[in-house]
Amino acid sequence: MVEKLLVHRRAVLQGAIGLATAGVAGLPPAPALAQAAQGVTDNEILIGALGQLTGPFAFIGAPGRDNIQMAMEHLNAAGGINGRKLRLIYEHASTPAESVAAAKKLVENDKVFVLIIASGSTGAAAAADYVRAAQIPTYNTVGATPIIREPFARNIFHGTIPPASVTGQAMIDIGFQAVPKATRVGVLAGTYAFPQSHLAEIEPRLAKRGGLEVVVEKFDAAARDYTAQLVSFARRRAQIVLILGSFTEAGFAIKQAPEKGLTDCMFVLDGSAVNNAVIPLIGEENTKSVWGYFNAPYFPTQDDPPIAGYRRLLIEKIGTLPQGRPNIYDLIGYGSTYVLAQVLKKAGRGLSWPRVIDAWETLNDAKPSDMGGYDVIFPETVTPTDHQGNKKVASARIINSSWRVVGLAS
Amino acid sequence: MVVVGGLKFGAIYSLAALGIVVIHKATRIVNFAHGAFVLAGAYATYGIVEAMGLGYWPAYLLVPIVTGLLAAAVELVTLRPIRQSDMFALITSTIFIGIGLSEVYRLVQNTEMLGVPNPFPGRPIFIGDVIITKEQIWVFAGAILSSLIGVAIFGYARLGRGLRAMAANVRGAMLCGYSTDSMNALAWFLGGALAGLAGVFAAPSKGISPELSISMVTAGFVAAAIGGFDSLRGALFGGLILGLAETFAAAYVSSAMTNAISFLLLFIVLLWRPEGLFPEAKIRDV
Amino acid sequence: MSNKRWRALAGTLAPSAAVLVVAVLGLALDTYWQYVLAISISAAATGGALAMLVSYARCITIATGAMLAIGAYGAAIPVVWAGVPFGAALVFATALGALAGFILAIPGVRFRSHNLAMVTLVFQSVVIIVLRESKALTGGAEGIHVPPPVIFGISFADDAYFLLLCGLLCALAVLPIAVLLAGPFGKNLRALASNENTARAFGINVRHHLIAAFTFSSALIAFAGAVSAPRFRIIDPDSYGVLTSIFTLAYPIIGGMGSIWGGIVGGGVLRVLPELLRPLADYIELIFCVLVVGTLTFFPEGLASALWTGRRRSRTATSSSASTREWQAPRIATSLSEAESVAAAEDETSERPMLELHDISKAFGALRAVKGVSLTVAPRSLHGLMGPNGAGKTTLFNIVSGFIPPDSGRVLISGMSLDKVPIERRIRLGMSRTFQHAAVFHRLSCLDNVMIGLGRNSVLQGATRSLAAALDTEEIRAERYAALSALEAVGLGARAQDAAGTLSLGDQRRLEIARAIVSRPRIILLDEPVSGVSVEEAQRLRELLVMINRELGVTMVVIEHNIGFLVSLCQRISVMTEGQILAEGDAAAMVSDPRVRLAYFGEREAAE
Repeated sequence: MVEKLLVHRRAVLQGAIGLATAGVAGLPPAPALAQAAQGVTDNEILIGALGQLTGPFAFIGAPGRDNIQMAMEHLNAAGGINGRKLRLIYEHASTPAESVAAAKKLVENDKVFVLIIASGSTGAAAAADYVRAAQIPTYNTVGATPIIREPFARNIFHGTIPPASVTGQAMIDIGFQAVPKATRVGVLAGTYAFPQSHLAEIEPRLAKRGGLEVVVEKFDAAARDYTAQLVSFARRRAQIVLILGSFTEAGFAIKQAPEKGLTDCMFVLDGSAVNNAVIPLIGEENTKSVWGYFNAPYFPTQDDPPIAGYRRLLIEKIGTLPQGRPNIYDLIGYGSTYVLAQVLKKAGRGLSWPRVIDAWETLNDAKPSDMGGYDVIFPETVTPTDHQGNKKVASARIINSSWRVVGLAS
Repeated sequence: MVVVGGLKFGAIYSLAALGIVVIHKATRIVNFAHGAFVLAGAYATYGIVEAMGLGYWPAYLLVPIVTGLLAAAVELVTLRPIRQSDMFALITSTIFIGIGLSEVYRLVQNTEMLGVPNPFPGRPIFIGDVIITKEQIWVFAGAILSSLIGVAIFGYARLGRGLRAMAANVRGAMLCGYSTDSMNALAWFLGGALAGLAGVFAAPSKGISPELSISMVTAGFVAAAIGGFDSLRGALFGGLILGLAETFAAAYVSSAMTNAISFLLLFIVLLWRPEGLFPEAKIRDV
Repeated sequence: MSNKRWRALAGTLAPSAAVLVVAVLGLALDTYWQYVLAISISAAATGGALAMLVSYARCITIATGAMLAIGAYGAAIPVVWAGVPFGAALVFATALGALAGFILAIPGVRFRSHNLAMVTLVFQSVVIIVLRESKALTGGAEGIHVPPPVIFGISFADDAYFLLLCGLLCALAVLPIAVLLAGPFGKNLRALASNENTARAFGINVRHHLIAAFTFSSALIAFAGAVSAPRFRIIDPDSYGVLTSIFTLAYPIIGGMGSIWGGIVGGGVLRVLPELLRPLADYIELIFCVLVVGTLTFFPEGLASALWTGRRRSRTATSSSASTREWQAPRIATSLSEAESVAAAEDETSERPMLELHDISKAFGALRAVKGVSLTVAPRSLHGLMGPNGAGKTTLFNIVSGFIPPDSGRVLISGMSLDKVPIERRIRLGMSRTFQHAAVFHRLSCLDNVMIGLGRNSVLQGATRSLAAALDTEEIRAERYAALSALEAVGLGARAQDAAGTLSLGDQRRLEIARAIVSRPRIILLDEPVSGVSVEEAQRLRELLVMINRELGVTMVVIEHNIGFLVSLCQRISVMTEGQILAEGDAAAMVSDPRVRLAYFGEREAAE
């Protein structure tokens, strides 16, 4: 309601000033905010995406871009969506300022039809805030923090990555899968946004479990030395330690653990640390005590047919794979595009935002294979009241110098 | 045990601080790009150890030479033309050169972090209650030894004499036949080499990423300031003090304090004894 | 006359007007570009603030990110938690920024260059850490959501509305800084950045000025942070980190260090560059670094100046000395008679010695530079001070001016003790001086140099005079007139607008003299006033000094190595050697005194 008033006021103001300026400078008046079918032509659907291409979180954004692009190419080769080809415009954005700018450019300038937010944390939250007002259908594929999800908005849908409450619980469950009778639990959390939101979900859930001695230690994103924290865990003889941080942070912590006296302890890593690059960091001798959760049914280096087939495609597209690729964000980029394609197909030839939203809200068990892709992500199901597409979390261990999914967390 | 960890990092900081002080003593410039040289050293270590698989020993010898040359090149290309400018231009240039080099690294190697293996893996040694790893001993001993060699070169060798002459009186040194150009280049080479060596030592425990450059220049600066900017010995002790302070603060106060403590320490030093713990005589003109 | 007044006012208002014009023109663009422009305008304001610190005062500050954060959080938190109206929150945030700048500066300005940079870095890091740790108040690392500004019930969520609001607010906020920088306050900053000691000798309290600079600029930076925060929707500590501080440093450097325009244009353009160069997003930061280093190396005055001063440089800087020009000596008395005279009346009646030194001693470690020197200088006299190198003459001068405190002994002016009087206050007591190395403020015009010589240079005076300059009041015009008169008296009237650095050495010495006399001091200390100038020029300077002494009744104490000059100028001469007064008396008598000849020429010569 409020948005409608704002839109009208803006249109009036723009019209007035535009006329005035046009009168003075002869420029055409600025167009009002686009109608429902922006980004759709007879043979093309324009999709916008934003994420971090450089900086510390480039390992999220860059795979996103490569894979959305690749999935679109395959979908287009197979005929497109109801006779239209998909086209991607990807913008780099990391801070909130950049994210809002990128989102505005994509939505208001390039006039995309659907927006994919392929970045996490504060930038994504800012973009989500903008999108709530702009009302464009938006796909949040990797953001887990609650700020993106609240308040609820009909036009925002969440994909593979479940909210921190789900993954936090999964970490606890995995910890107790590893050490069923554990009573002493440590939590090592980074001070930046993502680990903190995880921590906020984990602490109360651990407390609710009852009968546990829990100790929480923190570290800064730039920290490389975990002496203090590990000594604290060692002193309490922690049996499970949940590590909320990136693979480098987890890697150093686990590596340093034995020398600080922390032995006979199972470590549970969060999804962003479940990455083969962590293995040389922690050292071969430590791999047996490391578990983690994973947001896809297969780890990217496994040999099961869907994931192997996907890897072939990726190598075709980008050549030799850099260290650590493909990672979860590769899988998400690829799989989510297929899910989005299914939504668009379901909405029919006459595309508009309301129709897309309706189609999305009735999505049931959507898999990439439905549109000819490889099933590298969990299927997604959405209801009008719950826009979280995937809620499954897998558990993983390091077997033969590589991660493998070994089951579900709960 | 906290002490051992502190000493190990302290030794690395000492090396970094030494490089900063050498350059400052000889050319009056505080090199804010120093951390980037450390990063270059760490990256070169990765190149030699991981990418080329040559192992660590060549790294200790080659990396300082590489970073030394890099530093000398930086001085030649970017700082020599503006040598006559005021401090503001020089310092600001080094700040942006440092960031620029980190950016180049980031563009060349767009991964979150590179890792190099532990040069001395294996079970740690237990001395009573204290756990020490071979790597800690090696880093501490090696870094301190390199620092002492650096001090010796600057203080006693013939090369060093020229640098010290420049440090005392530029015009006088020129009159004695030392060329400002080559002395500056030499000072930067030495400083860069020390930074590179710090990078080799730091690479296994700190990892190779752009953040390394900011953290090392801050630590190096604080260590140098504690020791008094013009004293090589001071840099050595300053580094050790800083390393110990950081680990103690993290262990007994809070892990978030690791960063804050170095700044707090710097602040206290600047307010209480700006000339550092090992001041050297300075002359002021009006 | 009124034409000039309008021009002065227009010049000061121009930066604000430009900001407003850009905002209004931006209304013709689409919403995305309106958003970008609004951000750019707030960055321009930040750049303007940084011009004060970086361009004028030449301080390296790495605390800008923290100040932006203080402004952003300072406005957002009251609105979000306490429902405070945006206007009040904005004022609060600005005040908070000023306070933060003040707190940073109090310990900070004890240092210069790299140490100051590190203190600002400490401040920056501590602020970010505090913001990140105070989760309850600031939302910690996840940040807080900032709602659009609401003023009198109107929500400014619209891009167009916001652009106008932002333009208006930033234009207003930039105005005081523009006024300060264009006027004497800005000149004082340039002076102290150029040569601290000389600045202090003319009443510029360096510490106070730097604290003021930090306070004012931090206030504006916080303001810019508070205004732009709602557009970002979410503010988190990482958006205001060290890299932000470093890259904002680039605004005035690339934009140009010559005036506030450099900061404003630099900020406006550089902030927007990543949006304009989206395909190069990867390389933007590297491009910035290259631009900055390139600018510092090849265009020390900044890119904007390099393009702009093409015009100004065409006016040739003549270095012809005044010896080729005629100047009217007798006019000096009338032209300066309107200027203040501190104690002229007093001097007429009292016959106390103008300057008395009682048993002054000073040692630097083992070196005893001055050993028990006592000296008396009669009022309105010309008193010379000579001696071989290293005799302690300049040290004595520095003690008298206040740069060095004596170990023992007293300095008296007209019977008043100068014990514990700081350097900056001595000019108010009627003491002025010139320096051994022609310490003019190279980047300031001759007129500005002399106006500083008036000595009305406390922070408060600098600020009020800047306002007066913007409004072109009678008072400031009287000051300018006095300065111009002093310049004409020394023969530099035609060079009033030229930068002091373009003058020949001889002319610079004249400029120093003009600067020294404009405040109608009681006593001037001249340190080697003719060293390095030609014989003819020395003659002219001698006549000038004699005339000044005669017309204004100024006492002069002159150090010189040029004995002929000294003898022809001074009535009495004191001879110093090895820290002590060897002999004192009439000029001619001193020259033939055997002890003096011994000291200068050695045994053999004296024996002849």
